[in-house]
Amino acid sequence: MNFMIRWIKGIVIYRPGRLLGAIGGVALTITLLASLGTFLFSSSATMTERAISDVPVDWQVLLSSSADEGMVKEAIAGTTPYTALEKVGYADAAGFTAATGGTVQTTGPGKVLGISSEYRVHFPREIRQLTGASQGILVAQQTAANLHVKEGDTVTIKRTGLPPVQVTVGGVVDLPYADSVFQSIGMPAGMAPKAPPDNVLFIPEGQWHQIFDSQARIRPDTVREQFHVRIAHNLPADPSSAYTFVHQLANNLEARISGSGIVGNNLAARLDAVRADALYARVLFLFLGLPGAILAVLLTLSIGASGKKHLLQEQALLRTRGASVATVLKFESMEALIVGIGGIIVGGALTYVTGKFLAPFSILLNTATLWWIAGAAGAGLLLAILSVMYTAWKQARYFTVTASRSLVRSPEKPFWQKIYLDYIILGTAFFVYWRIASTGYQVVLAPEGVPQASVHYVAFIAPFCLWLGGVLFAIRFWENGLAHGQRILSGFLGPIAKNLSNVVASSLGRQSILLTRGIILVALAVSFAVSTAIFNTTYNAQSRIDAELTNGADVTVKGTTTAPPGSKLAEIKGLPGVAAVQPMIHRFAYVGNDLQDIYGIDPKHIGEATNMSNAYFEGGNAGVTLSLLAKHPDGVLVAEETRRDFQLHQGDQLNLRLQFASDHKYHLVQFKFIGVVREFPTAPKDSFLVANAAYIAQQTGIKDEEIILIRTTGNPAGFVPRVQEVVSSLPGAKVTDIGSVQKTISSSLTSVNLHGLTRLELIFAVLLVMGATGLILALGLNERRRNFAILDALGAKSSQLGAFIWSEGLLILIGGGVIGTLLGFGVAQMLVKVLKGVFDPPPEHLIIPWNYLTVLAVAAVASTVIAVFGMKRISHRPVVEELRKL
Amino acid sequence: MMYEPYVDMKNAGRTYLQGKTTVEALESATCQVVPGDRIAVVGPSGSGKSTLLHLMGGLDTPTKGSIIWPALGRKEDLRPGNVGFVFQTVSLISSLTALENVELPLLLSLEKPAKARTAALGALNNIGLGHIADKLPEELSGGQAQRVAVARALSSRPKLILADEPTGQLDHPTAQHLFDVLLDSFGSLDTALIVATHDPVIAGRMNTVWHIEHGRLEIR
Repeated sequence: MNFMIRWIKGIVIYRPGRLLGAIGGVALTITLLASLGTFLFSSSATMTERAISDVPVDWQVLLSSSADEGMVKEAIAGTTPYTALEKVGYADAAGFTAATGGTVQTTGPGKVLGISSEYRVHFPREIRQLTGASQGILVAQQTAANLHVKEGDTVTIKRTGLPPVQVTVGGVVDLPYADSVFQSIGMPAGMAPKAPPDNVLFIPEGQWHQIFDSQARIRPDTVREQFHVRIAHNLPADPSSAYTFVHQLANNLEARISGSGIVGNNLAARLDAVRADALYARVLFLFLGLPGAILAVLLTLSIGASGKKHLLQEQALLRTRGASVATVLKFESMEALIVGIGGIIVGGALTYVTGKFLAPFSILLNTATLWWIAGAAGAGLLLAILSVMYTAWKQARYFTVTASRSLVRSPEKPFWQKIYLDYIILGTAFFVYWRIASTGYQVVLAPEGVPQASVHYVAFIAPFCLWLGGVLFAIRFWENGLAHGQRILSGFLGPIAKNLSNVVASSLGRQSILLTRGIILVALAVSFAVSTAIFNTTYNAQSRIDAELTNGADVTVKGTTTAPPGSKLAEIKGLPGVAAVQPMIHRFAYVGNDLQDIYGIDPKHIGEATNMSNAYFEGGNAGVTLSLLAKHPDGVLVAEETRRDFQLHQGDQLNLRLQFASDHKYHLVQFKFIGVVREFPTAPKDSFLVANAAYIAQQTGIKDEEIILIRTTGNPAGFVPRVQEVVSSLPGAKVTDIGSVQKTISSSLTSVNLHGLTRLELIFAVLLVMGATGLILALGLNERRRNFAILDALGAKSSQLGAFIWSEGLLILIGGGVIGTLLGFGVAQMLVKVLKGVFDPPPEHLIIPWNYLTVLAVAAVASTVIAVFGMKRISHRPVVEELRKL
Repeated sequence: MMYEPYVDMKNAGRTYLQGKTTVEALESATCQVVPGDRIAVVGPSGSGKSTLLHLMGGLDTPTKGSIIWPALGRKEDLRPGNVGFVFQTVSLISSLTALENVELPLLLSLEKPAKARTAALGALNNIGLGHIADKLPEELSGGQAQRVAVARALSSRPKLILADEPTGQLDHPTAQHLFDVLLDSFGSLDTALIVATHDPVIAGRMNTVWHIEHGRLEIR
């Protein structure tokens, strides 16, 4: 026991570098694995939480005409606890009429909903107040615009088969979730959703029954009732599991109320959309985080493999004193134990710090995450044992010190080199990449309505093969290059090694296997750092573009045609902190019978206030498309679907119906089709139109703009209150900033906050690069201390000794750095291409984080310089002492 | 004829710290080495032979007394060039061939590579090892490696050769052969050779024998 303690003490005193390096490597591995897992679980839970908080009504239970309401209510309560339940009446109206401003406006068919006075309290997100009272007769914004009515005006409801009735408008509201409110419940999955009605009125429950009970008796098909339910959100954390759970709950309810109603499962639909994102997130976390963990493992194993010679000497001493291999390994296991326990302590502390300061969300300490953390610690311990014991066991098999450090190469090439495995893998990478790039490949498949979602991991073959093939090719290149290209190497080393360049080149060439290992480790670390940094920067930039696309600009003001924010344009322009302002018309136009959003812009200047991505337009050139629009005042850009439906060709005339100021009625306006628009700031995902604002204003007689896009010089969020103050007098005007939108949009994966993982990875990548360059170089040089001591004994001057050390350091740094950078760029490019489904719109090019790459390069150079100077310093210790020790 | 001494050591001593204990490896040694000297330093293991040679070769610094090299210059000028060292253990650089190891002192003396190579090859040929010029140290036998070390020590034509038990790890015939090589090769009358050994046969072939025991040098 006493001897064991002395042995441990000896390890700590005489092998501090190797010991600390190995502890660091194990700690990094544990931290990366533990953080990765907890981030993954926590982000999934956050996604679920965020997604369900966004759903205005969880279930819409459509009651059959013969349903027993009490029984259905009981069945709901029996299926799941709920926090809110409201009955809503849906009645079809043949149309609405209003006489205002000396004109009479008539709409097409519409819907009249009957709600209780408590409905808006229980489901506050469903109806957004714009103007007037919050109770009474409420008119949807679009209907109010069509009828040109405001609070106090009278609207006539044309009932089906009955005389019309008149109601007085109490307020104007917006229906942000109209699609789900008016969904066709029970529609088979896969059918195109029905567009919500253009004309909607809300009426108090009692009054609704007075008006429509009689209509229900003569035309029961035109009047239905629904229960709107918010269930208790005790759901599994993972979106996929939550989806399955909610889906099964609804099935259970339908079975209980069989024949009395069917469930419109908005909650499941929302989770359905998010679970694909969750799978994407899992893929991203794995693909971005795992290479770091693998690299940390490799680094630790390399550190463990250093000091082989001393290990062998120790073992030889123990063996000559009668110790068996098992006893030798028992002693060596002490080092593994120190490394393992040290690694777990440091890794645990790092994981805590990481979770505390780097995570963008609160880390959930539930059973799953705790198991994950425990698993990471176990993996760390295993790695410690492997890194130390494997080397010890391997060494125990050698007979002599010389054998263990043999430089004589086997004339046989490794099997993989003989069969050109590296070329085959690289070929596979490029082939898969070409297939992915040329087809609409989706990595994550989560078919709507189908519980099973899948990730096509096969898509990751391209970046993985590039990484693996690149590494194998680099091994072939450097091993053979160093062994056979000594003349070329000598030429490169001339400036450093001068007349020693041939000898230094020969020395390096004979250590080609050892040096190649160092080069490859640096290349792996650099490629991990570069690919992660480029991917993350591109991802973040794209996330911003996505948010800008949704919000419109840094700050956006949206209002109504009756109170347009365009009237405040001059005041907003004058606010401090405004970089650019662009007004935009937002109205509605009929394309045939289809009502679409139409945006009127100034094509020459719209790009000043918001990003005009090439991806927004067919042809991939925003500049050309907008110039074309500017040249054609009557030009219009339409959605691909519209072009296809109407068989449009460039220059074709397209007749749209827009509402005119003169009579508030829709009239034909001639446009010329000039191109296809895929996305546009503030525009919906489906069909919409973009035209010249001046032309729309001139044709309709309505000049003021409903949207203002603002580019700010500072923090957009801080700018919002100033704009709110300016537009406070405009009813219904809403001011939003890009940051808040970025936080809340969850329809796209770019809303997944990768910042925590990004920060963690980027910091760790620097540490790994420093470890791979500095630490591995230092340990490698330390292995050759005897050579340097001999050189010193022969009278080598500092610069001559430096020639040997610098040549090795620079070869590893530059060789690994160049290959790592190339691989990193390649992998990032492939990753972005493979994950194109993540981006909306897809990025046009990679975004290079020059600042980070500079920091990375400086860190790598600095750690190399420190390692080289450290070794030079060690080599200048009294040579006799060194030779005696070694 | 009076020669300026190569080494002039006065009351030089060297102590080492081993843990908390101070070990006196060499006590107040006073001696001179002049051109043409062939000195054997004999004594048991741990008596201070190596320490004496290390101090003479400028590889170590005395903790007391002084040592100067009047005919060779400053300590910094000793290696490479003026002093050639042969160590007890194989001291070849493992990643260089025999030829490259031999040419190394010449290159360190800023000799042109081509000239250094020719001279190194000549040195190897002189000791009959031209055929192993391209072999790595790990491919050589112990005797061959030590002969290469001798060739390396001689390659820069030093004025003082210090050999620290060069045959200590070799069998007797190999040791004798190596010593023959050493004596035959440096030839020049000006060169001084100091050999630390406890082989009486080898010591008997030298002109002078110095005895050292417990760090005390005795010149008879």
